Amino acid sequence: MPEPIIEMENIIKIYPDGVVALKGVDLTIWKGEIHAILGENGAGKTTLMRILYGEIKPTSGAIKINGEEVDFHGPWDAIKRGIGMVYQHFTLIPTFTVLENLHLSLLALDESIKAEDVETLTRRLMDELGLKIPLYDVVEDLPIGVQQRVEIIKTLLRKANILILDEPTSVLTPIEVEELFKMLRKLKKLGITIIFITHKLREVKAISDRVTIMRRGKVVATLYTSKVSEEELARLTVDIDLTSKPKIRGGIRGRRILSINDLWVRDERGLDAVKGVSLELYEGEILGLAGVQGNGQKELIEAIVGIRRAYRGSIKYLDQDITSLSVGDRYKLGISYVPDSRNIGLVYEMNLTENSILTNLHNYLSGIRVINWSEAYRTADKIVREYNVVAPSLRSPIQYLSGGNQQKVMVGREATREPKVFIVSEPTHGLDVRATRFIRNMLVKLRDLGKSILLVSTDLDEIMELSNRIAVIYGGRIMSVGDKNEYTIKKLGLLMGGIHEQRITK
Amino acid sequence: MSKGSLSKLIETLSERLLTERREYLATLIETSSSLILALLAGGIVLAVLGYDPLNVYNILFRYGFGNIRYLLDKSTPLMMTGLAFAIPLIAGLFNIGGESQLYIGAFIALLAAYYTHSHVIGILAGTIAGGLLGAFIGILRVYRGINEVISSIMVNWIFFYLIIYLISGVYYNPERPHESIPIPKDARIYPISNISVIFAIAVLASILYYIILFHTDIGYKMRVTGLSTASAKYAGFNPDLSMIYSMLLGGAAAGLGGALLVLGMTYSIDDMLSAVYGLGFTGIGIGLLGRLHPIGIILASIFFSGLLIGGQWVELKTGAPPELADTLIGVIVIALAIPYVYKLLVSRLIQRRVIE
Ligand SMILES: Nc1ncnc2c1ncn2[C@@H]1O[C@H](COP(=O)(O)OP(=O)(O)OP(=O)(O)O)[C@@H](O)[C@H]1O
Ligand SMILES: [Mg+2]
Repeated sequence: MPEPIIEMENIIKIYPDGVVALKGVDLTIWKGEIHAILGENGAGKTTLMRILYGEIKPTSGAIKINGEEVDFHGPWDAIKRGIGMVYQHFTLIPTFTVLENLHLSLLALDESIKAEDVETLTRRLMDELGLKIPLYDVVEDLPIGVQQRVEIIKTLLRKANILILDEPTSVLTPIEVEELFKMLRKLKKLGITIIFITHKLREVKAISDRVTIMRRGKVVATLYTSKVSEEELARLTVDIDLTSKPKIRGGIRGRRILSINDLWVRDERGLDAVKGVSLELYEGEILGLAGVQGNGQKELIEAIVGIRRAYRGSIKYLDQDITSLSVGDRYKLGISYVPDSRNIGLVYEMNLTENSILTNLHNYLSGIRVINWSEAYRTADKIVREYNVVAPSLRSPIQYLSGGNQQKVMVGREATREPKVFIVSEPTHGLDVRATRFIRNMLVKLRDLGKSILLVSTDLDEIMELSNRIAVIYGGRIMSVGDKNEYTIKKLGLLMGGIHEQRITK
Repeated sequence: MSKGSLSKLIETLSERLLTERREYLATLIETSSSLILALLAGGIVLAVLGYDPLNVYNILFRYGFGNIRYLLDKSTPLMMTGLAFAIPLIAGLFNIGGESQLYIGAFIALLAAYYTHSHVIGILAGTIAGGLLGAFIGILRVYRGINEVISSIMVNWIFFYLIIYLISGVYYNPERPHESIPIPKDARIYPISNISVIFAIAVLASILYYIILFHTDIGYKMRVTGLSTASAKYAGFNPDLSMIYSMLLGGAAAGLGGALLVLGMTYSIDDMLSAVYGLGFTGIGIGLLGRLHPIGIILASIFFSGLLIGGQWVELKTGAPPELADTLIGVIVIALAIPYVYKLLVSRLIQRRVIE
């Protein structure tokens, strides 16, 4: 008989604004298992985990750790009980080295601990796990996947034996996901219990022992993963039929709308991030841009949008040179952009309505530059209805929405502007199966209407499913561009790793 | 309109009203509960120092809020310096320069009114002068990277001495050498049937600022800039411009405050600047007390002036040293400005209510 390590009983959570996020949830986690939590956007997964981590208090309900009832007053209490949580937004200090970060986090537990001790401890732990992290590298220079490992190491150094991961894979490339899974399996062998939130059914199947499915603040079922299929999971979580994939037609390619010629762009540190990229985008196509994060794709699209200046090369929109046009003017031309970070695409303290006119303010102004709020409400309402956003009201601060619902507002806002050139970065980031499908269908629909879409995604399935053409970026250069049919996931993976095409075909 | 859509409309309208009312109610509960806490805290301080809290409070409020016209007059410049601090902070800048922006506003208004005999021109000139001085600090910050707190403080002292020099050395009143030339009688602003006109102008200005902040693109851009520069850039706004605008608007508020003060209350400036000194700094407290919201700042400035006036009466009536009143006011304001304590309380209260 498996031994329960966490028992959450009849947890109810009502947020101050009256939203009932959890309506009596029971969750039992067994010692040493990997337990996936699955559920539609806004189901209450993050809320439940924040309660377990002591970050917020439940309105009512009991939590037992190892059979003993606990009452957490903050994450510190949870950490002392061996619970660690890795957020999607990492809490590392970007300008510190890995070792300094680890040292800092341990100082909070033991004021007298020395850097050497931290290093020994860390090296021992890394040996045990069979992984290598450069301890003297500055965190911001490391790939996201490695930063995430640092976060995990951090919790382990604090002696966590229960690890909570909230959507850890949404920022990772397939290879990084594999590495994360390897690490998690190893941790499991060492007896660590893992709770894993994800929207990707394949990941649930690949990594978890059991899975709990949540819907609207309730647990629908807890099942042995091996006993359910992906299709059943999809049906249980969001009630959709996976077998009917949307049909992606070829689309009719029209005029060349964007031509990028020998573009050079620097990053924040003044280093070349984009090194002579030339790329073309046509009407009626989805061009997928694949690449491991940090290979210049962000700088490239920011230069296209105008947020970042290209110091060499040109960008042409139809026949117009837009290289030195302001962001606002490019938006007015019909360019629209969904950034990969909700931090940037949304203003958390502002409400839903205010956020839904962020990139389109000029369309809501009267002659004397007064904002037409009733028009803005109409837009917000339209986004909420069309994209199925779950929000208490149009005036709720956007930060009170669940991650997936924030994403829907951001993507919905940009799509509602009816762009001619739609640049989307990780558009389905954090969305549940149904919302993901909805957004992908929307992109295809726009494409079929003759719009041009530049899709940046670390999710290769997404790239393969949607793109007409694919470009691979590595080290600030385009490794390869071609028709979708020329690529397989495997080939993309190699190209993204910087292996040249000639060497692959040989 | 079909019956279905009508009921839908009513439903959304009532939902909106409900959420809004909940917001206002929450603010009301917060403010009043924190006010009670603040008075309790002040009372404890009084008792510890050996004074009778009830007696002191009685004097403080009876006299502080007894003479309405004086109260509103006195709150006028404070309301404006409160805005001078709040507006730039909304865009992410700390304007500590309300002092000098108010001095220059008062001084320029004085000169303008003296030479033109027009209060309207006086008001405009003072407002513009304050705005330009504010914008100057904003420009230094944006184009030269000079921290606005440091430059504000430096500018404050420069203008403090410059204006003392000008008043005592150039524009002094030959009949009263310790004062500046006076505002001519025909350019003074008098109350109309006992209603404080300068206060009314200040309230109108606050409402205008409210509209700018929440109903125009400039305000929207300033708010986005203050919350997240990265988002502002993404949205295609120019954060630098928003910051300069915010300093321009903030400085203009302080300048207007100075102009109203000299045109409607003091009619001249003394060569120690005692009539204007400190109003800018007090504005910082008022801006925070009013939660950086123009309407909140109107209320905060009235409340605060009441305390200031009452504090003087406490001194007079109980023979307590002036520090007592200052301490008391300090305790009350600090207690009021710790918002998250009651936020916590209220959220607990609402939670409980929903559960039951
Ligand atoms: N701080 C908050 N204040 C008020 N309501 C909140 C807050 N955080 C979340 N909510 C609400 O609680 C509900 C559950 O949110 P939660 O973030 O737990 O969902 P989730 O299952 O993690 O969703 P997602 O998959 O989109 O991340 C949502 O309706 C959300 O709007
Ligand atoms: Mg979540």
